[in-house]
Order: sequence, then structure tokens, then C-alpha cells
Amino acid sequence: MRWLPAFLSVSLLGAASLAAKVSPEERFREFHAKSLASAPIKLADSSYAKLTNAPRDYTVAVLLTALDTRYGCQLCREFQPEWDLLSKSWIKGDKSGESRLIFGTLDFSDGRDTFMGLGLQTAPVLMFFPPTVGRHAAASPDPIRYDFTNGPQTAEQVHAWLSRYMPDRPHPPVKRPINWMKWITTFVITSGTLTASYVAWPYVLPVVQNRNVWAAISLLSILLFTSGHMFNQIRKVPYVAGDGRGGVSYFAAGFQNQYGMETQVVAAMYGVLSFATISLALTVPRIADPKAQGVAVLAWGGIMFLMYSFLLSVFRVKNGGYPFSLPPFM
Amino acid sequence: MTANSLEALASAGKGRSTRTLLRVVILCLIAGAAIASRLFSVIRFESIIHEFDPWFNFRATKYLVANGFYKFWDWFDDRTWHPLGRVTGGTLYPGLMVTSGVIYHALRTLTIPVDIRNICVLLAPAFSGLTAFAAYLLTNEMTTTDSASAGLLAALFMGITPGYISRSVAGSYDNEAIAIFLLVFTFYLWIKALKQGSMLWGALCALFYGYMVASWGGYAFITCLLPLHAFVLICMGRYSSRLYVAYCTWYALGTLASMQIPFVGFLPVKTSEHMPALGIFGFLQLVAFLSYVRSAIPGRQYQTFLWLFAGGTFAVALAGLVIATSAGIIAPWGGRFYSLWDTSYAKIHIPIIASVSEHQPTAWPAFFFDLNLLIWLFPAGVYLCFQNLADEHVFIVVYALFGSYFAGVMVRLMLTLTPVVCVAAALAISSVLDTYLVAKAPAPPQVHNAEDASEASVKKASKGGLKSTSKPVVGVYSYISKGVVVTAMTIYLLLFVLHCTWVTSNAYSSPSVVLASKMPDGSQHIIDDYREAYQWLRQNTREDAKIMSWWDYGYQIGGMADRPTLVDNNTWNNTHIATVGKAMSSREEVSYPIMRQHEVDYVLVVFGGLLGYSGDDINKFLWMVRIAEGIWPDEIKEREFFTPRGEYRVDGEATEAMKNSLMYKMSYYNYNALFPPGQAQDRVRGVRLPDVGPTLDTLEEAYTSENWIIRIYKVKDLDNLGRDHTSAAAFERGHKKKKATKKRGPRVLRVE
Repeated sequence: MRWLPAFLSVSLLGAASLAAKVSPEERFREFHAKSLASAPIKLADSSYAKLTNAPRDYTVAVLLTALDTRYGCQLCREFQPEWDLLSKSWIKGDKSGESRLIFGTLDFSDGRDTFMGLGLQTAPVLMFFPPTVGRHAAASPDPIRYDFTNGPQTAEQVHAWLSRYMPDRPHPPVKRPINWMKWITTFVITSGTLTASYVAWPYVLPVVQNRNVWAAISLLSILLFTSGHMFNQIRKVPYVAGDGRGGVSYFAAGFQNQYGMETQVVAAMYGVLSFATISLALTVPRIADPKAQGVAVLAWGGIMFLMYSFLLSVFRVKNGGYPFSLPPFM
Repeated sequence: MTANSLEALASAGKGRSTRTLLRVVILCLIAGAAIASRLFSVIRFESIIHEFDPWFNFRATKYLVANGFYKFWDWFDDRTWHPLGRVTGGTLYPGLMVTSGVIYHALRTLTIPVDIRNICVLLAPAFSGLTAFAAYLLTNEMTTTDSASAGLLAALFMGITPGYISRSVAGSYDNEAIAIFLLVFTFYLWIKALKQGSMLWGALCALFYGYMVASWGGYAFITCLLPLHAFVLICMGRYSSRLYVAYCTWYALGTLASMQIPFVGFLPVKTSEHMPALGIFGFLQLVAFLSYVRSAIPGRQYQTFLWLFAGGTFAVALAGLVIATSAGIIAPWGGRFYSLWDTSYAKIHIPIIASVSEHQPTAWPAFFFDLNLLIWLFPAGVYLCFQNLADEHVFIVVYALFGSYFAGVMVRLMLTLTPVVCVAAALAISSVLDTYLVAKAPAPPQVHNAEDASEASVKKASKGGLKSTSKPVVGVYSYISKGVVVTAMTIYLLLFVLHCTWVTSNAYSSPSVVLASKMPDGSQHIIDDYREAYQWLRQNTREDAKIMSWWDYGYQIGGMADRPTLVDNNTWNNTHIATVGKAMSSREEVSYPIMRQHEVDYVLVVFGGLLGYSGDDINKFLWMVRIAEGIWPDEIKEREFFTPRGEYRVDGEATEAMKNSLMYKMSYYNYNALFPPGQAQDRVRGVRLPDVGPTLDTLEEAYTSENWIIRIYKVKDLDNLGRDHTSAAAFERGHKKKKATKKRGPRVLRVE
């Protein structure tokens, strides 16, 4: 009796494909012709079902995506040009359809039912349907999902992934078109800069040789690096984040974490403290008027004390067990 | 106290010999403080080697002391990387071991019998005293007056700043222990050689550079910084024969010295990180030649020609470098080095590098934690360097920029930034203190006089000075101002000392081999599972029993249990590590053949669920999966270890791949027997575990330590009756061989 459901399902599948009344070969030719015109093929619910219907003796790679700005899928929009590039260069390199691979794109606005049927919560999803019959038939007819867990992927990475599931078939390489616009812009900008600097050289030279300029550049970069700017670059941290109660939290919880805004505040604090030190060491002893000097000492000393106290209090936010503090921010 | 004795006290510091004596005493006290603050872990725990890498260094040192230098040089270690082995003598930096060996033999010649372990434990604190002295020398080169206040402050900062203590507490027997001293001292010798244009100082600099190369892979920092300094000086038009002599002596001798280390070999003429040094060497020859020509043949038009010629040659050399690199004559950038520039490189291409927490970027709290007030005095000190901007001040500026960039990219390189921070901060704070600690007040000026003076000095200083120093120095008038500033500075400095002691005591003094916890009554409880388990291995297993564990524990097993391991912390063979990762993250049926092929006898896992110890293998598990996925992308997939909602779970809702992985099974095997039914809990992940624990068919539990941190499993031999382990284990459990039972559980998949 256990055979019955299996038999039924097989026969039902058969019936379904009969209902489509097109052989896999014909379907492949139809879709391949389409993709020669424009790859990847833009699919809708019905064409998606037709394309991925078993049995198939060809391979299908469908990108399920949500490009409309309403859905706010940043990853989808970032990946789309790569996907177009991959499919175009693949089809171009394989005009006769030897690799028997069809590229398709199904947007959420065209294929709501398909998304529901697959139970997809996220986009983009890349589905790879191996052939079920024919020379390259895979053991399992289930589609394979490609993960976008590591952020945006390049065409080359997806190409490698596809090639892995399609051994002993041609894999036309990804050919990135030469970005003429970029080359021309670079050329124009470079020559423009060169000309401008040649003309402006007498005026630029004093700036380049100015010690104050170099001091400012050095101090700014040191402040930038020591306040965790490189961490922001590498980890791509948000500028600020919500605190979960509708407000904005400027300081990230935890010692190993930070926000973009936070590092700027910290850099500013370091800058103020350094500047106060420099003033106390260099500027103040050069003030000739005794009264003005007294006021300057008290002002810079006070600023330094307050700022350091504030810095310590900020650090206590980051490191809960930190025991030291200065008034007034105890 | 009479006025007479006060005067005597004040004049006591004036004499030259008294000053020298005072300096010596202060430096000795600083060295004492530096050593003392590093002894927390010895006092709290015992004289023990810490962490992971030091265990290998310790083992190598013991080998060196026992077998002599030449045997050590040719040491082939067949007890690591089983079955490959490791040519240890040719793949390590021998400086540290040789230093300890020399000290050991010297002490024995003096008939002081000291255990080699104690030398290894106390080497880093001892060298920190020397580092403080080197910082004193380096800073003194920066100041023009003979006042040593900046130098002494720098020595003090260097001695107790947590950024350096983090790598040099007692027991932290790592390469950095001596390397930071060598780094600072090499820089001091370089400045000395540059200032005097002396070949002798240059040769000494090369000698210590060679010692540095023999000690730490971070020598590349010097190799890049000195040429950069020379290049900046040339660009500023400050080429001099002093620079030529110093640089050429250092480069020629230093490169020869570095090539004597087998591990470095011909790298200095091949890899790209050494190319700047070679390029600047060539460039200097050209500049020297051209400046000779210029001096020999007068003529203004030569200047243009010279610059064009030099620039053109440099461009040609650069093009040659690029071509040679792309043609493969010169080795490509090393992975670790490359990840410093392209920050996303490591994550994509080398998961094994990304998996090491030392290679993560630095968040700002880490800077403040390690350097405290020095971090904001640092920019001020760099600014003060612009005041005179002699050659040595340019060095500080270049070092500050270079060092802070790298410290921001990689937490570990905080260590190379710390010396320059100490020097610059000492310059800043001593300049403040020198200004405000003068008892003599200047006479209040007549108004027109001051204006005259300032105008005159503006004319004098307007050319190439700093804006803030254009007026003449008058001094500080009121005692109140002096008192306020000096008091505030003293408070900050005292706070700094408190901060350093607190950080050292709380964050950097844990041996991580031995854990400490507080009992409810406040007394200290020592958790000693690691050593307990390694001792068990040492006493209950064959001498050549192979232990498989994740690579973090390889050195400790080799050092403490003295058993061969499959992989260890020297991560040179990614595939071998990935093999272990695959065995850990696959099903038993896949893992068993891998373990048999590698002759594994025991498997060791670290499990913190009972104690709440977060550095355990389940938390590191994703890295094993990632590294294995890098080699076998079809068999291991990171995605399968996450639930459909993207969570990494270990409880009842863990994914099938997770539940069936060897690591999961070994971690939680029999774990629920500790708890009343249904209440098994993982205290690290804070989740309740399923009622039925995992079963193990191909392994049997051999040993579990007191707090379950270490669990050791024995790999079963082949079954006597030729059955596979699954059915043998099922038979043992009393399951009859009927189809109904076969339908349940994970074994179904295997039947089909």
C-alpha cells in the first residue's frame, strides 16, 4: 500500500506535464530563444511554473527578488546588476545552449503567488533547479538555494557556485564590460588635476611646505584612527541606532561595539583635551598680559578637567565595572 | 626647616653627579614598578605559563636547554601536525628561546640553580624594565635641553601602561615579551645613528634589528618604518650624508643579519613588505650620486635635471617592482599583511585569519582602556614635535601616523603603537610641567616693550614655524595658575597609575589555563580543569596516543600533556585544520573514517555549558564550519547550522546538521544526566536543552573534568564482528534489528 501515494504523485506529475503539453526540449528552446533576446528572462507566476516544471532536461537558475523601492531591499538592488551581468555573459558565451542553463528573474510584484507558495520571508533568493531527466539529471529534483548570508555577492562568486553544480558542462566566464565612462572620467579628471596643479603650483607650494598644514593633517588623522574610525570602516557600523523605546541611542552598549556618531564624539573629546594641553604648554606662557594669562590658564584648565571627567563618564557607560571618575560627571 | 636647609635641598639637584644619581635611582624605581605590576598572576595563582602560544615557546625552550643549540636548530618535531610533523627549527623565531637559554646557562655558571620554567615566566617582566630604559633613551633624543623629565616620564609610562602590560605579564612567555624592548631600542639606535651620521651606531642598530628579526614576525614594522622615515626626510629636502651613512649601514648589515634566520631566509629580497626598504636603499644611492655631481659641477639648471632624473629612476624601479610581482618573481603579499590594507580581504579569503580575535579591528574603548590619558596627550605631543621638527621629530610624527593606522586595523598592533604614544605623551606632559613648575615669576612687562619684542620675534619666527609659537615665551606669572595646572596634572597622573593597576589586575593577569571565580562568601575558587585533564592524558594514555582537538589547544596538549596532536596554533596548513573542522562538524559516519585515517586515539573538546565558560568549542564552532567549508564547500555548509530564521541554536530547535555534528554530540553527550528530567540547561547560551541527549556510536566517553570544561572521548576500534558502529551500538543498547526501530532516528538516512 505504501506505493500508492508515490505512484499517485508520479502520475499526477505526469498529468501536469501532459497538461502543459510541451516537451522539455521545446520548452528549453522557447526559453533559450527568449534569453538570447534578453537575459535574464523576466518571469511571472505562470511562466515561472512553466519553466521550472518537472520533468526538465535543462537547468534553471531563478533569482527571486524584490526590486521595488517599496520593499526597501537594499541587497536585491545591489545584486541585480551582478546577476544581469552574469546571465548576459553566460548566454553570450553559450549561444547554442550547450550548457542547457536558463537564467530567470522573478520579481515579487510579478510573482506574489510563487513567493507565497515557497514560503519565502526574505529576498533575494537564488534557486537552482537541476535537471530531472536526461544526461545531466540530478539525484534529487529539489531546487538548491543559494545563500546571501555574507552580504552582496559578485557575479564571479555566483558563477563559481553554479559551475560547481554543473560539472562537465561549459561554463562561459563572466566578462565585465569595459567601463568606458569610468576610463574617460578618470582621464579627464587626472589631466585636469595635473593642469590645475601646474598652474596653481606657485600658490600651492607655500601650503604644501607649511608646517601648520602638516601638523593639522597629522593630528586629524591620529584622532581619527585612535577613535576607532577603522573599526567603523571594516565593520560598517551604523551611525546611530534606536534604543528600542523609540529614542535614539548614541553610545553602543558593550566594550567591543561602537556607533559612527559615538566615535566622532570621542574624537572631538580627545581633540579638545589635546588642544587644551597644547594651549597650556605653548600659548599661555606666551601671553604677555598677566591678567589675560590668569584667565586663560583657568579657562583651559577648567575645560580640560570637565572634558576629562565627561570622557571618564562615557567610558563607564562602555565598561560597566570601571571604578574611576572625576567630578562633576561622577 | 630653616631657610638654609631649604637652599641646600634646592641646590642638591643642581650638581651634575647628583642629577645622574637621581636619574639612576628613579630609573631603577621605574623598572621595579614595571616588574612589580606584572606579578599579579604569579601572586594570585602560581608561577605558570599562560595561554596558548607560550606553551609552545616553553616546550621549545626546554628542548633547547636539554639538547643544545645545534640540535634545536635542526629539530624536526614529529609530535605535532600528525602525520605530517613540523620542521620546528626552521619555522620559528628562535630569539626568545635562545635568550632564555643564555640566561639559564649564565645563571648556572654563576652557580645559581634556577628552574627554566621560572626564567620563562619572569622573562617578560624583566624585559619590561629594559623597555622602560629604552623609552627613556629614545625620549631623551627628542628633547634639546639636558632636562631628563620627558625621558623619565616616558620610561614611567612605558613601564606601566596596560597597552604593553597586556602582552608582558609574568607567565606570558611570548615573542612580544622581548620584541617590544628590541623595537624601542632599535629605534633609539636608529635616531642616534641618524643624528650623528655614525657608522658604529648604524651597525649597532643593524645588530639589534637582527635580534628583533630573530624574535618576532613584527620586525616588518621596523623594516617599513625606517625607509618611510628616510623617504619623508628626502621629500622634505633634508637629504644629508648622515642619513646616507645611517641608512646604508643599517640596511646592508641588517638585511644580512635577518637572512641568517632560517625562517626568514630570502624573504628580505623577495616579498613585497620588504621592498620599501630595498627601494629606498637604491633611491638613496641615486640621491647620493646626484648630490655628489651637483657639488662637483656647479650650475643652476642641474637642480631641475637632478630631480627629473631621480624621479624617473624611481618610477622605473616602481614599474619594475610591479612587473616582477605580477610575473611571480617576487612572492605575493602575505595574507596577514594583505588583510591590513584591504580590510575585507581576510573575511572572504582566509577564514582562519579572520577567526583569530587578535586580528579584529580596534574599537575606541580598547584604546582608552590600554592607554588612558596618554591617548589624548598623544596628539598634543605630536604637535609639540612640529615645533622644532628636526630629523628625529619627523620620525615621531611618521611613527605616530603609521602606528595609529595599524593599531586601528588590528587589535594586536596596539602593542607597536604604545611606545610612540608613551614618548609623545611624555613630551607633552613634561612640557606642561616644565612651564608651570618654575618657581621664578617673570617681571610684569612694560606695555610698549612687549609689543616691540613680539613684533621682532614675529618677523624672526614667521618663516617655517608653528603659528602658536610665533610670540616669545614670557613664562607664567601667578602662583595660582601654576598651582592649579600642576595640581590638575598630578591628579591625572595619579588617576593614570590607579587605572593601570586596576586594568592590569582585572584584565591582563589571568593565565587562562587556570580560571578563578568567587565563592558566595567572597573567597577565591580556582577552576583547574585544563591541567586536570592534561594530567589525565599524560598518565592514562599511551605515549604516542594522537589527540584530536581544535587548533587552539594544540600547543597546550603538546606542552602539558606531552601527546602528539593533529593541529596546533601554528596555523601554516589550512587544509589540515579544515580536515579537523570537517571531522568536528560532520556526522559521525563521515567523521569516523577521517579519524581512523589520521590514527586519532582521543578527541578533546572544551565545553563551558555547565560553568558558563564562554570561550568553549560550541562558540568557536562556526569558525570550524567556515574553515571546513572553505575546502569542502559541497559537504559542509554554514547555512545548515543556522535555523531557517537565521539563528544559531543549540536547544531543541537546533538544525539537523547541528544536532548530528560530532562537536554537538561530544559537547552534550550525557549532559542531561546531571539535571532532573527536562531541566538540562546550557549556562553559556542560556537555553534549555532537549530531554533526550545525543547518542554517540563511534566514540566512547573517556574522561570529563570536574567542571565539565574538558571532555575527552576515545575513538572506538573497529568492531570485532565486522559490524558498523551504528548497528553495534544499537545492539548494545538492546534494540532489536527490526524495521520499525530503523524507521526512527537519524539512522534512517543511512539505510536509504
